[in-house]
Amino acid sequence: MKTANQPLLSLKGITKHFGSLTAVNGVDLDVCPGEIVVIIGPSGSGKSTLLRSVNFLEEIEEGTILFEGQEIGYVTSKHGRRHLDAPHKICALRSEIGMVFQHFNLFPHMTVLGNVMEGPLTVQKKSPEEAREIALDMLAKVGLSDKRDVYPATLSGGQKQRVAIARALAMRPKLMLFDEPTSALDPELIGEVFDTIRDLGKEGMTMIIVTHQMGFAKEMADRVIFMEKGSFVAQGTPEDFFANQMEHDRIKSFLNRIL
Amino acid sequence: MKFFNGRIAKRSILLFSCVLLFAASICFAKDYDQLFSDANDAMAQGDLPAAIKILKKVEFEKGDESGAFVRSRMQIARLQFALKDMDAASAAAKEVLAVYPDNSEALNFMASVQQEQKPRYKVFIEDCLRFLPQLLKGAVMTITLVVCIILISPLGGLLIALGRISTFKPVSGLCWFFIWLFRGTPLLLQLFFIYYGLPSLGITFKPFTAAILGLGLNYSAYLGEIIRGGIQSIEHGQMEAAKAIGMSYWQAMRRVIIPQTYKRLMPPIGNEFIALIKDTALVSTIAMVELMRSADQMFNAYFNVTALILAALIYLLFTTIFTFIFEKIEIRAGIYENR
Ligand SMILES: Nc1ncnc2c1ncn2[C@@H]1O[C@H](COP(=O)(O)OP(=O)(O)OP(=O)(O)O)[C@@H](O)[C@H]1O
Ligand SMILES: [Mg+2]
Repeated sequence: MKTANQPLLSLKGITKHFGSLTAVNGVDLDVCPGEIVVIIGPSGSGKSTLLRSVNFLEEIEEGTILFEGQEIGYVTSKHGRRHLDAPHKICALRSEIGMVFQHFNLFPHMTVLGNVMEGPLTVQKKSPEEAREIALDMLAKVGLSDKRDVYPATLSGGQKQRVAIARALAMRPKLMLFDEPTSALDPELIGEVFDTIRDLGKEGMTMIIVTHQMGFAKEMADRVIFMEKGSFVAQGTPEDFFANQMEHDRIKSFLNRIL
Repeated sequence: MKFFNGRIAKRSILLFSCVLLFAASICFAKDYDQLFSDANDAMAQGDLPAAIKILKKVEFEKGDESGAFVRSRMQIARLQFALKDMDAASAAAKEVLAVYPDNSEALNFMASVQQEQKPRYKVFIEDCLRFLPQLLKGAVMTITLVVCIILISPLGGLLIALGRISTFKPVSGLCWFFIWLFRGTPLLLQLFFIYYGLPSLGITFKPFTAAILGLGLNYSAYLGEIIRGGIQSIEHGQMEAAKAIGMSYWQAMRRVIIPQTYKRLMPPIGNEFIALIKDTALVSTIAMVELMRSADQMFNAYFNVTALILAALIYLLFTTIFTFIFEKIEIRAGIYENR
């Protein structure tokens, strides 16, 4: 699936501190178009912080983010201080990168259709008819067309997460970030969400997925990355990773714990 | 001589009888004075029946030149009235009317006896009808004030709430100060300051403007804190999800965060507005004629408690209607939470 030579996303030396704690420590990562990267690692290793940095929900202190070869998101002021770009530019960047959260974060006061329409309608300023059409398409894609008029409170966890995916897709992003999309779900509901993500992969969507589901990582990932204490400790294709990296003591004990 | 004698006799008889009449009248008058003063003593001791008994001794003299009879019967009537014996009271007044059919004191007295003998509810209804037009005029002003503040203060409160959570320090500081000032001082003082105090700085307001200003600022401060709490109670993930699909801070506030606060804010804001209905009574102190002031005017003019009862009923009616409306709105605002 790795087709293009220019990476879609390129991270260089990403570093994020929370006070004295270094949550992400000099991470480099190239993601090619259509590539599916799965990041695993123990709790607190900085996986979420890394994804959130890519979507500018966290402001990083060091490092650069390149998207389609362009450096994005940060500007340096006259005094040499680096800070986030103007809000409207950040918003524009975010709408090119979809993000799906562990706890879905659907808008409870909007119907399922309203949730999915919201991006095209409010952010892209599409007409209600057009936004509705896009939203219905996306709902069909995640298999929830029949739920369009209900409120999120009536949905199961798996359905909620699929609506959240549809909501992100409605913005037609070039990259999708998933932060433990199935961690809040009952085991029997995990499958339907991964089916949806698998379909996206088949369509060629570029994705970075943080998950603890090793079965999924083995099956879907083009590359598996093990992250610990804010750094990438090991990475490789699933075959390589699970065969060879098992020699790595820490990965071994981590995998043993979650499998 | 016979003629002379006859004339003398006639004259002297006339003179004698005159003197006698005069003496008798003085004598009787003196007698009644004694009776009246005895009656007064009995009244002073609180023995009204004894006083009545004494006064009854005054009898009708032809013409009642001394006025003692009328005086005594009217006194009896008033005493019986005080003793709540309306039949005896009107009987006494009727005795007067029997001899002086158009004695105005007795006529007035009969009218008030009739009023007293009416069933209580009839009297109450009559009082109500008498006071209601004025009170309703006041109530219209009260409702006008309430509606104005209900329209103004949520907007003011929202601005203050957004200012308060702003990361721009001067704005959040200013909003903090505003809330601190208007929640920390009595509304009555704020109204006095605006209406009576500001003119000394050359700023003069009409009573209505001053009332709207005072209530508006005060209620904006209160609602500001409530709305801020509501906004901050919305789970952080909502703002992140909104941002993640590319919304700006203000788009997220307007489309995602603030709409979710409606249901949570309805009960506390409803409470504030109920309090507002009653707080409008305070503007009666700055020359506004609203419900409280109207009731006060009626009460002072007639010394009739019905005016106050009526005002209380009107306030209760308002608060009940508002409670009902807010419950309905609360249910509708939270419709998406129903499973
Ligand atoms: N807003 C924050 N303020 C302070 N510390 C934070 C904040 N967010 C994350 N951290 C800390 O940064 C470190 C990395 O957190 P992060 O959420 O990225 O880990 P994670 O790998 O996603 O863990 P998990 O598997 O539990 O989700 C943790 O030690 C966490 O406590
Ligand atoms: Mg995490």
